[in-house]
Amino acid sequence: MTGDIKVEDNSSLSPVLLTRARLLASEHSKLADRLSDSFDAKVAKRAGELAPVTSVLREWEKANESIVELKALLEDGDTDEELRSLATEDLDSTREALPAISDRLKKALIPRHPFADLPCLVEIRPGAGGDEAGLFAHEMLRMYMSFCTQRGLRPTILKQDLEDGASEDLLSEGVMEIEAEGAYDILRTESGVHRVQRVPATETKGRTHTSAVSVMVLPSFPESGSGMDSALNFEDPSSDYYIDPQEVRVEKMRAGGAGGQHVNKTESAIRLTHIPTGTVVSMQDERSQQANRRKAWQILRAKIAEARQEAREQELVELRRGAMGGVARMGRGDKIRTYNFGQSRCTDHRSGTTIHNLDSVLDGGHGLETVMESVRTWMADREVEAMLAEEMIKEKKEKK
Amino acid sequence: MPRLPTSLLIKAWEENPLLPRLLRECRTLVSARNELRWLRERAQRETPSREWRTRLRAMCRQRSRGVPLQYIIGDQPFGDLEILCERGVLIPRSDTESFTNEAAKTIQGMAKSRNEHSNSKSLRILDLCTGTGCIALLLHQLLSPNFNLKIFGVDISPIALNLAQRNLAHNLEQGYLSEAASTQVQFLRADVLSQGTSELPTVEEILPQLYEHEPKSHEPGSGIETESQLDLLISNPPYISNKDFWNGTTSRSVRRFEPRLALVPPQSTLPDGCNAEDIFYHHILRLSLKYLARVTVLECGDITQARQVVKMHDSMTKSLAQSGEEAKFDVRIWPKTEQECDENGFHLYDGARCVIIRRM
Repeated sequence: MTGDIKVEDNSSLSPVLLTRARLLASEHSKLADRLSDSFDAKVAKRAGELAPVTSVLREWEKANESIVELKALLEDGDTDEELRSLATEDLDSTREALPAISDRLKKALIPRHPFADLPCLVEIRPGAGGDEAGLFAHEMLRMYMSFCTQRGLRPTILKQDLEDGASEDLLSEGVMEIEAEGAYDILRTESGVHRVQRVPATETKGRTHTSAVSVMVLPSFPESGSGMDSALNFEDPSSDYYIDPQEVRVEKMRAGGAGGQHVNKTESAIRLTHIPTGTVVSMQDERSQQANRRKAWQILRAKIAEARQEAREQELVELRRGAMGGVARMGRGDKIRTYNFGQSRCTDHRSGTTIHNLDSVLDGGHGLETVMESVRTWMADREVEAMLAEEMIKEKKEKK
Repeated sequence: MPRLPTSLLIKAWEENPLLPRLLRECRTLVSARNELRWLRERAQRETPSREWRTRLRAMCRQRSRGVPLQYIIGDQPFGDLEILCERGVLIPRSDTESFTNEAAKTIQGMAKSRNEHSNSKSLRILDLCTGTGCIALLLHQLLSPNFNLKIFGVDISPIALNLAQRNLAHNLEQGYLSEAASTQVQFLRADVLSQGTSELPTVEEILPQLYEHEPKSHEPGSGIETESQLDLLISNPPYISNKDFWNGTTSRSVRRFEPRLALVPPQSTLPDGCNAEDIFYHHILRLSLKYLARVTVLECGDITQARQVVKMHDSMTKSLAQSGEEAKFDVRIWPKTEQECDENGFHLYDGARCVIIRRM
């Protein structure tokens, strides 16, 4: 029956997406039938994922149906005057509501990021700009710690390497872990190069310096892969994120000379190298070698999973280019945000949002939240575009 | 010890005035920074309010005099356990942690290859010169999921036994050890070197307790020998020679602050061809053969000493063979390969090793 509806809102909701939504909705109703017969956790999970699309689609269809009905009513010469004015009013308000519903439908159609439900690691490293970059890297670590603490996301510092040099505030590498489930989805807006413009404390001539700090948000996997979705299980050789332990070189650093009872060393640094990709993680923050080992593995798994996901996204971008020309995509190498102290502003270059209260950003408060929210909207728009492109490619292929 | 370059001290001082003190023992900035962080965390945890700064300064002062970090902080991680440390008892080393892991792996590998129903399988383990009890306790943690254990930790020092007992309680309390450990691990006093002439009991005298409360039907058909069979005999005995204690091989901090009793074997009458520093191995190997230990793991100071232990074992088994006892052994020195060394933090030529003897 839905097929008969004349679509009013073609401009904002493409037929490709509508087809996709209907496909998903019919899958949902099939799953719901199966669930009423017997319960299966996997089926229930998938049905749960599809439920929002289904309900928004129903809303959208209802709106369109009523538009058709109201129009018919208005076109009918027998309709009495009072009813006619009511119908006109109704038609206007429904037409007004439709774009918002379409928008929600589009968002509901975006496939969930594979890491969306996971906790995450945030790695912060200074880029160009010398000591000033190290200083700001440390400030950013504090900013995210405070952001997460304020929201009850349970952040801990996993690794904090300070630079050989002047003060205690120079970070050469920091990794924080955010244990809350879904933290990856909240913080993934932050991956990229952050730029700071200010007059450093050490600058004698009052010149503004520009330096950069790179932030990477990585998915954090639990210690053991069991109990995870098989697609995300790094211990399962068929998973995209599988790591073969044979391909990881483990080294505990040690110099020559006497050992055993003769000496009493307190450090227990460990280094892991993923041979195929050359990814290296070293860890020495803990007194316990077991703890250093665990943390190093956690970071290694996160880095490799993120790199593989990144590679997959890159492939999709290449595909899309064929379908719709240049696609805006911000990689980890791109400048995403500027913190300007002189003007007390923070600008995100993706969403174009500017906040004129730098403190409320740097203390991880409302300002940062606003910027991140604007990026989330921007990302969702990009993802809708990408989805559209993909569906178009699919359709072309099917026609062939 | 070479002098630290002044430039390094200045750099450290600029970063934090407490760092140069720690550098005396740590030698590198990275290591000193780590220790400062660990000390700070401990000072803040132990001393509420603002007093912690004073406490931290005192801790750093102690460290600069060479007091081991573990005696200041009061514990040392060992595997997934937290071992309390105290003056008078040797601090657990990471090398020993690796040997203990390897011993557990060997035991598990053997059980697997014999396809034993692991849960019902009882293991009798003897840890001689147990000190803090770290080896006995870590073995319980590693093996208790798969075996029904009976572990004896033996030491001559009452201070050590007292600490070992507290370590058992502490790790139970922290939940690092399973409840079963409270009855399956025991610490007892005996003298490994004694031949019945001192007041202290010998290992032979206390060992029967290890077999108490065990069903006699255990492994039917293998007779009396199996009755007295040990599954694992493990030890990190004193093995430093008097010479190496004084000539700089042993670090100053170890020499000054850790108990000599746990490091250098006492003077005693030596059997033919046995070096003074190897006397414990002589006695332990004798026990290993007498009680038909399935696996024996002995920590040694370096490869040379490990080879010496292998030699001692060879000559003991040869004389046994001459008197008609047939037994086959697989003897190896671990770690051996470059990979084994890298993964476990050993230098390819220098540093501690362990000898692993398997009775076939």
